[in-house]
Amino acid sequence: MAADPAQVRGVIVDFLGRVGKAADELADTTALYGEGLELDSLEAAELSAMLEDTFGTDPFSSAEQLPETVGDVIAFYEVAATA
Amino acid sequence: MIDLLERAAIECPDRLAVRTSETERSYAELLDDARRVAASLQERGLRRFAVVEHDAALILALLAGAALAGAEACQYPPDIEAGQFREQAQGLGHDQVVTRRADLTDGMTVHDSAGLIGDTSYGGSAGESQPLLIRTTGTTGVPKAARHDWRVLGRTVSDRTAAPDERWLLAYGPQQFAGIQVLLHVAAVRATLVAPFPRQPRDGLEAIASGGVTSVSATPTYWRFLLSEARARGVELSGIRQITLGGEAAPPDLLEELTARFPSARVSHVYASTEFGSVASVRDGRAGFAVSQLFPDNPGGSMKVVDGELWVRAGAGMLGYADSEDVDSDDGWRATGDIVEIVGDRMFFRGRGSEVINVGGVKVAPLPVEERVLAVDGVAMARVFGRANRLTGAIVAAEIVLEDGQDEDAVRAGVREAMTDLPRAWHPRSITFVETIETQGNKTIRRTEA
Repeated sequence: MAADPAQVRGVIVDFLGRVGKAADELADTTALYGEGLELDSLEAAELSAMLEDTFGTDPFSSAEQLPETVGDVIAFYEVAATA
Repeated sequence: MIDLLERAAIECPDRLAVRTSETERSYAELLDDARRVAASLQERGLRRFAVVEHDAALILALLAGAALAGAEACQYPPDIEAGQFREQAQGLGHDQVVTRRADLTDGMTVHDSAGLIGDTSYGGSAGESQPLLIRTTGTTGVPKAARHDWRVLGRTVSDRTAAPDERWLLAYGPQQFAGIQVLLHVAAVRATLVAPFPRQPRDGLEAIASGGVTSVSATPTYWRFLLSEARARGVELSGIRQITLGGEAAPPDLLEELTARFPSARVSHVYASTEFGSVASVRDGRAGFAVSQLFPDNPGGSMKVVDGELWVRAGAGMLGYADSEDVDSDDGWRATGDIVEIVGDRMFFRGRGSEVINVGGVKVAPLPVEERVLAVDGVAMARVFGRANRLTGAIVAAEIVLEDGQDEDAVRAGVREAMTDLPRAWHPRSITFVETIETQGNKTIRRTEA
């Protein structure tokens, strides 16, 4: 299912709010793990469930490569739009 | 059952034994019905038969009549779909069915339930063997059936003293083991059974409000639905003196709510199953069972914990499954599939072994999570289960029914707050708000993923 970048970004911001992480800057290049949002596997799993609930599919479950940045997540839905 | 009815019919022939949506029968009338059923069973040579009937007064007469004639009755859910019935009846070798339904004729000899109460009465007395077949509930797939004997089951209620003022709501189906327990108790104490049909919580609520019900045995899930229905309709539930919980673990928040709403009622909690019978009960209103109950050899049965799983040795359990040998050839200990944990002087239930959620290699028991969710302000009902996830194999998921006017975000925050004493893998990673929690046919919550 396709979704525009603002919607996807909105879900990520909601998610960060729920897990109590600040989201001052959410650039496409912001890493999901490590230095960036510092998600661990449980938090990434939570994000994937939220994305699936909102859009019907999610890059953590369906993409060939696991997303590494905010931009990867957004791109997954853009590719889905053109497919 | 027939022995209990005979005793009650001598001691209090005119007392109301059962009131249903269709009829009322005194103990004398019920015994008379049962004797007529026994005569018909003899005359027709019915030794083993299926029962698909919804009226509890008829069912009591059929069960007691079968016990008197030494025939094995086996109840199916009254609303079972015809195709499913045919398949399951074939599996259990039933080709005779007692029913008032017109759609169960395929491959079956049909006997009208009411028609079995014939013109002649059975004059003899009950034999040594009083068989009864009870199908298991709650699990998926084809139910198994456990062979019981009324004389063995009757032993568990033989010491109960007369309590003619008790009026018991039949909240379980009488085809369920827990429903049979209610029938036995009512007959043993010469009380009155109040049995509306259908048997949904809202029907129970109406019966309580209008029928002077004093005692209710039901699952915790049934109680939750009943309480929220009562709240929504502003119904006062006065007069309840006995609350019996069974079928699933009793969550602490529900125990608290029940004791607060019914301060003068006794709240007990039973551990029982179709196979093992009624093994133990607690009456102190606290969650879990007393560890001291693990040791004594009480007549109901014994319990022990092996590698975190509850094992029981039944005192009045089944003789065996249908078409199989009697089980008491070995030492009698059986694994229950219930995961338990001992904390201090209590043994707590942590869910079914089959419900354990594997979150990235961490084994999560859903019940402690569910209990914490239920304790959050604004949560009316909840279910915790595993949700498949590519990253961790599974995550803990929760479905929540909010109380009226509650805010989703506030409850989400409350749930997160309530998990702080649990390891991170146990925290729900998926919370969805739903209108109602789906229950299984036996009014318990399924915690395995759909």
